[in-house]
Amino acid sequence: RASAELQPLDSTISDSERFRDCRKFVMKCSSCHSSFDFGGIQASNKYQTTYSGIKCLSCQQMLSPLAVSAQLEHFLRHEISAYYAGWLVCDDCGIKTRQVSVYGRRCIGKSGKAYGCKGIMRYVYSDKQLYNQLLYLQSLFDVDKAKKRVLKPLVADHEFEDKENKPVALNQGELDALVEQNRDLFRSHQRVVDKYLAECGRRYVDMGGIFEFMSVFKR
Amino acid sequence: NPQKYKFRTMNQKLLEAADYLDEQIDSMAKILLEHYKFDSDEFGNPNIQSQSEILTVGRVVPDSPLTASDADLNSSSLFLETSRLGGIGQRVKLDVSSLENYSFFPGQIVCLRGQNLTGEFFKATQIYAIPFLGSPVSSSEELQSYEYGNDYLKVLVTAGPYTPQKELDYSHLAQFVERVNTEVRPDTLVMFGPFVDVNHVQIADGSARFDGLDKQPATLDDIFNMVVAPILRKLECLVILVPSTRDATTKHAAYPQDSFDRKSLGLGKNFKCFPNPATFQLNEFLVGCSNNDIFKDLKDVVAGSARKESRFDRIANHVIEQRRYYPVFPGGLRQKRSLKEQDESAHISGADLHLSYLGLAEFNTSLPDVLILPSELKSFSKIVQNVLVINPGTFMRQNSAGTYCEVNFKAPVLEELEKAGDDSYLHTVWKRARVDVRLGGL
Repeated sequence: RASAELQPLDSTISDSERFRDCRKFVMKCSSCHSSFDFGGIQASNKYQTTYSGIKCLSCQQMLSPLAVSAQLEHFLRHEISAYYAGWLVCDDCGIKTRQVSVYGRRCIGKSGKAYGCKGIMRYVYSDKQLYNQLLYLQSLFDVDKAKKRVLKPLVADHEFEDKENKPVALNQGELDALVEQNRDLFRSHQRVVDKYLAECGRRYVDMGGIFEFMSVFKR
Repeated sequence: NPQKYKFRTMNQKLLEAADYLDEQIDSMAKILLEHYKFDSDEFGNPNIQSQSEILTVGRVVPDSPLTASDADLNSSSLFLETSRLGGIGQRVKLDVSSLENYSFFPGQIVCLRGQNLTGEFFKATQIYAIPFLGSPVSSSEELQSYEYGNDYLKVLVTAGPYTPQKELDYSHLAQFVERVNTEVRPDTLVMFGPFVDVNHVQIADGSARFDGLDKQPATLDDIFNMVVAPILRKLECLVILVPSTRDATTKHAAYPQDSFDRKSLGLGKNFKCFPNPATFQLNEFLVGCSNNDIFKDLKDVVAGSARKESRFDRIANHVIEQRRYYPVFPGGLRQKRSLKEQDESAHISGADLHLSYLGLAEFNTSLPDVLILPSELKSFSKIVQNVLVINPGTFMRQNSAGTYCEVNFKAPVLEELEKAGDDSYLHTVWKRARVDVRLGGL
């Protein structure tokens, strides 16, 4: 089973694609309480990455490092807890429940009797999704990705109804400078995500399982 | 074994979870079979129609998969789930109308006698209580080897949050530490998290600020290291820390939960970090504790004389009988209810159960002498099945003073103890302990 879940191509697909279903990181300004989607060092009408950190554009106040990392960790832990709520969905009848049959994948069905529906249950919030969510949060503070302009865009191009208000993209010189100025700060935010990535079971592939065929060479 | 709590989180496997749920039923069936000396032929499948009465062991579940975990069930909304072995995992409607006294909750393992006459429901006629584990014992030599200052062992029990709800302010904790060192002077202080609550409003909106520091903390871990740890380090007694799944100071955000790392928190040798839940010894006493709010999450359907007991008594009794610290399944959930569909309800927090490791939340070979189960409900202490059950309450209650407990254990006098064998004595902690509920942070 372990090998069936392996997605070796994950690292080669773009962030926009890979993080398509990830939940946005909504940050709140601690001065004026307005909230905005944070997407890393990229153009936005709501916030701006300056030479000394993240600035709220509604009130022009800077967000302290703690303001950012506290919200980041709060959001991250919220996702982990949502994952552990253990919601299951049936691929046939579509029932959503937190009850688990002693067979795991068997649907309990509308009757509640655990027979009748032939559907298969799976976690609504899978460990792969959670892992991707963590990677997404980590990417937001990846300055090298910002530099290469490969971050997931805050809003996809075709979604812009109001072309007038589309934020002006940063020029490369400005971007390069911002990246270097924010490298240490953003690295410290990434460490908050790393704390959980290091714990995340999904990251650790069962090498024994994959290289089982090689055991013959060991002897 | 604390090493076992170091499992990796965020990789829950549905089949492993199901294996544990199945095994819970069968292992309890085995215990009941041995205890009551049942004839194993008496066991039957309650899902199928039968002319005769049978015995069955199963899990109490709601009648619908759509029932919310905080819903109030009633006597006609209960089903019984069988194990793979006992009834190929099917569930049957439970008719409890012939039972006089009962208290049922989702997740409970029960042993029932009854009959399924029509194939439609199982009519229970008798409940067999799960036998209680034995109490721990000590030899006379062991009992005399423990130290009791002034003939008493003084233990304080506190549980977070340690800050007001609206402000991340640890001055109340600092004042408490001062008072503990100068006035209360306990032998041991047992502290439950959360210390830095990931769900605190000032963390959720990033507005937390700390005055009087040269440098502001940059992360939540810094808050513990720069603000909380310096306060705790002043404590002079033995301190036991048990985390909460709401603690930011841990990366292990699931229950059962790994202990804090004492060294990385910069805490001295008078600190002991235990997992959640944990079973440990204080002098001769066996203490069991679990930091997952079972008193809030367990909602039972009750009838008969059980109704006259307090809800806390019933729940404590369930924990002791079920032999596990958190017997409710599915675990508690806090959601922001949406006016639209149920599906749209936003998650806030929950019991965060990692099912396949819930074996770590089972009692070992004996009952604890003292059971500490912190809850946000009002503090209390009671004696249930000769186990001293304590809920210290929360140290801060929203924006006012909360509570903590002071427990004084009288030194054992051999002549006053009950003998369990030639040279083994029951600890009878319930005869020797006095619990005072005190006002926490002000």
